[in-house]
Amino acid sequence: MRNLHKLVATLIFAAPFAMSAQGYQVNLQGQVQQGMGGAGTALIQDGAALFYNPGGVSFLSGNTVNVGVSPTISKGIFLDKNTNETYHTTSPVSTPFAAYGAFELKDSSKLKLGLAIYTPFGSTVQWEDGWAGRYALTRLQLQAIFFQPTVSYKITDKIGLGAGFVYSNGKVNLQKDIPVVDNNGNVGHAELNGKANGFGFNAGIYYKPIDKFSVGLTYRSQVNMKVKSGDATFSVPSSLESNFPNGKFTASLPLPQVLTLGLAYMPTQKLSFALDINYVGWKAYDTLAFDYENNTTSLIDTKSARKYKNTFAFRLGGQYKITEGLAARLGIAYGISPVQNGYVTPETPDANRVIYTAGIGYTIKKKFGVNASFYFSQLKRTDTNLETNLSGTYKTNVFIPGLSLFYNF
Amino acid sequence: MQNITYKSIFAAITISALVSSCKPKIDVPEPDKGSVDASKYVAIGNSITSGFADGALYYDGQMVSYPNLLAEQLKLIGGGDFVQPLTPAGSVGIGSSANAKLILGYKTDCKGVTGLSPVPAAANGDYSIFTTSIASQGPFNNMGVPGAKATTVVYPGYGNPANGFGNYNPFFTRMLAPSEYATASMLAKAAAQSPTFFSVFIGNNDVLGYALGGGTGDVITPSAGGPGVGFDASIDLIINTMTANGAKGVVGNIPDVTSIPYCTTVPYNGLTLDATQASQLSMAYSPLGISFSEGSNPFIIADPAAPGGMRKIKSTECVLLTTPQDSLKCAGWGSTKPIPDKYILTDTEISNIRTAVAAYNSKLQSVANAKGLAYVDVNAFMANAKTGIAYNGINISSTFVSGGAFSLDGIHLTPRGNALLANEFIKAINSTYGSTIPQVNVAKYDGVKFP
Repeated sequence: MRNLHKLVATLIFAAPFAMSAQGYQVNLQGQVQQGMGGAGTALIQDGAALFYNPGGVSFLSGNTVNVGVSPTISKGIFLDKNTNETYHTTSPVSTPFAAYGAFELKDSSKLKLGLAIYTPFGSTVQWEDGWAGRYALTRLQLQAIFFQPTVSYKITDKIGLGAGFVYSNGKVNLQKDIPVVDNNGNVGHAELNGKANGFGFNAGIYYKPIDKFSVGLTYRSQVNMKVKSGDATFSVPSSLESNFPNGKFTASLPLPQVLTLGLAYMPTQKLSFALDINYVGWKAYDTLAFDYENNTTSLIDTKSARKYKNTFAFRLGGQYKITEGLAARLGIAYGISPVQNGYVTPETPDANRVIYTAGIGYTIKKKFGVNASFYFSQLKRTDTNLETNLSGTYKTNVFIPGLSLFYNF
Repeated sequence: MQNITYKSIFAAITISALVSSCKPKIDVPEPDKGSVDASKYVAIGNSITSGFADGALYYDGQMVSYPNLLAEQLKLIGGGDFVQPLTPAGSVGIGSSANAKLILGYKTDCKGVTGLSPVPAAANGDYSIFTTSIASQGPFNNMGVPGAKATTVVYPGYGNPANGFGNYNPFFTRMLAPSEYATASMLAKAAAQSPTFFSVFIGNNDVLGYALGGGTGDVITPSAGGPGVGFDASIDLIINTMTANGAKGVVGNIPDVTSIPYCTTVPYNGLTLDATQASQLSMAYSPLGISFSEGSNPFIIADPAAPGGMRKIKSTECVLLTTPQDSLKCAGWGSTKPIPDKYILTDTEISNIRTAVAAYNSKLQSVANAKGLAYVDVNAFMANAKTGIAYNGINISSTFVSGGAFSLDGIHLTPRGNALLANEFIKAINSTYGSTIPQVNVAKYDGVKFP
């Protein structure tokens, strides 16, 4: 039974960045910003500034509460280059949400306190039963919720500074088949289930030298999501149970640091443009290490090369206020994939992507309002994974309609 | 109320239309037949071609024979039905010593230790397979016959019981009507079907018979000699006959038998000794100048050429998988008694095998080149399997049992191994004939089944 570990060589704790090249900063934050390609670092419009630029929060007027949901519909297909067989994802719709609240302690204070609660990833990738890559991955579910208490201070009428502490709490569930079969044809299966948490911060500066122009710079730190005591459960033929003991595992996953420069231009009262440039520190995701408490010759600790590279994303959006209460938005973004050739996996069938977005918002008496956003992106990537040799073309369509409500007081 | 129903139906339709339109579409390439006419495919070969596995010919193994898997893919470019001489489904099958197939089960050894081991699925094989003629189900596209050599493919009467026990092949006999016994050869039965496409993967047994018996049971077929005697002339006759009507085909070469689990599973230095045992053995063997040390030691093997008729095995030599494990563990084989020669491939024997395989493969390649046939380097493929092949997240190797490529006899392939082999044939066909036959999805096929 020696070398049976080759069968499971890598019980990979794959990348949880699901359908998001730009990882957890996929920007399913704020329907206003989503409608504008995900740009909002220099254009401060609502409570989502807690995420986009804590420095700009102090420029919001009064108190505001903002709650939104962005149901993510992701449909993937894989064309196996060798067999011409195609397989679909059967991923359920995930519902990332974001809630922002920014408050001033007393009227017209320079200081604002805020809390942002958001799910920067919260997706499930699931491939159809018996698919060609079943021994690489069958299902990956990630849920993480970030809590970000934030302080923002308006230093002058032109400059605001802000910072938030980030606590993240999440869970991960990864499943794949193990290529061992019993006499009845039942194939082995592995399920890794764990809770993860991590810490980080989000800081930004906002500068608006003139009415028509503003600039923002933010830094969101890396957050290492650590699974300290996950449960590894194996279903294998009974004669192999001692080779695959159920037990604990540890793993760690970096959610990368992001540096963002934002520019905003407001040529008229009605028209505004925003541009964000993200530099994302994906290089931190170099290796995926997986440590089992109970090692056997079959179940060895694994280290899997990911070799992500640092990347850029460019986000451009425009907004036009048709009436005092009604705003229409359009946006486009381009994200460069951090995944190098040879490292594309079924949990991250990632590619350079163009993102198209649109949005509409309606405000009643500047108090209460609703914003809707729509996101569409299509990814296509052909690759042969160096580790698994899984070879073919992934194509994914991502549709994300979103809706949020806000209340100012 | 009705209004609301209509509205919700309309909404449901709109939403489902939206969701289904999200589904990405991808262009699936249309398989191109190139210059392959697959309408009638016939496979000539030995046990590997027949689907023999786990020491026996049985139904499940036949269903995943590489030519059957290949034929399935050929159907994508207009291939016809592929008829195989199937044994009854659910039968334990039959092997060359009338044994049943092996399965992985629990076995208690001489020391009382119970562990996983290949065990026969039944005390005896299903002899009715030998005694039941299935000629009426033919003709058979799969002309793979366990035990066949290049020389016997061309031999008329290869399935004739009148030749006497040991001089005919009952695996072939069952494929024949009694009226054909005296005259039928595998080649004639294959050619009579006028195939438009063929595969020839033969020659393993021309060395394997020698190898399996540790160089004692059989002789290596010489390259020289006429058809039925020499390898080269037999291959020429086979290929000339199969291509006579202009059929295209594919030829597989012969793997090095030393790369398969039959030869690689039992370690040469499996004799583990403590200090006392080592010094006692050293004393006993001192007249022969053989000494032992604490830990792993090479086994003692019989070698008539060595002083006293025995010596330590070399690291380059192999102890065959058939060596009785209980004799090694409890009867002093390899330590106080030498392991008999028939369980050992010595350097000399390995060298003889390699020389023959090299000559065969050079012949096979030159014939394939001369006739413009596709050529599968099975030898290189097996060498890769020895180090390990990654397929869609499955790591497949020639490691016994756990590697997933070789069945429990250590010689023949598992369904997964056959699928990989079928893909080697497909790749060679595609590159020679400009076709784009899709490969087999290896992930659909299992390795060894575990209890």
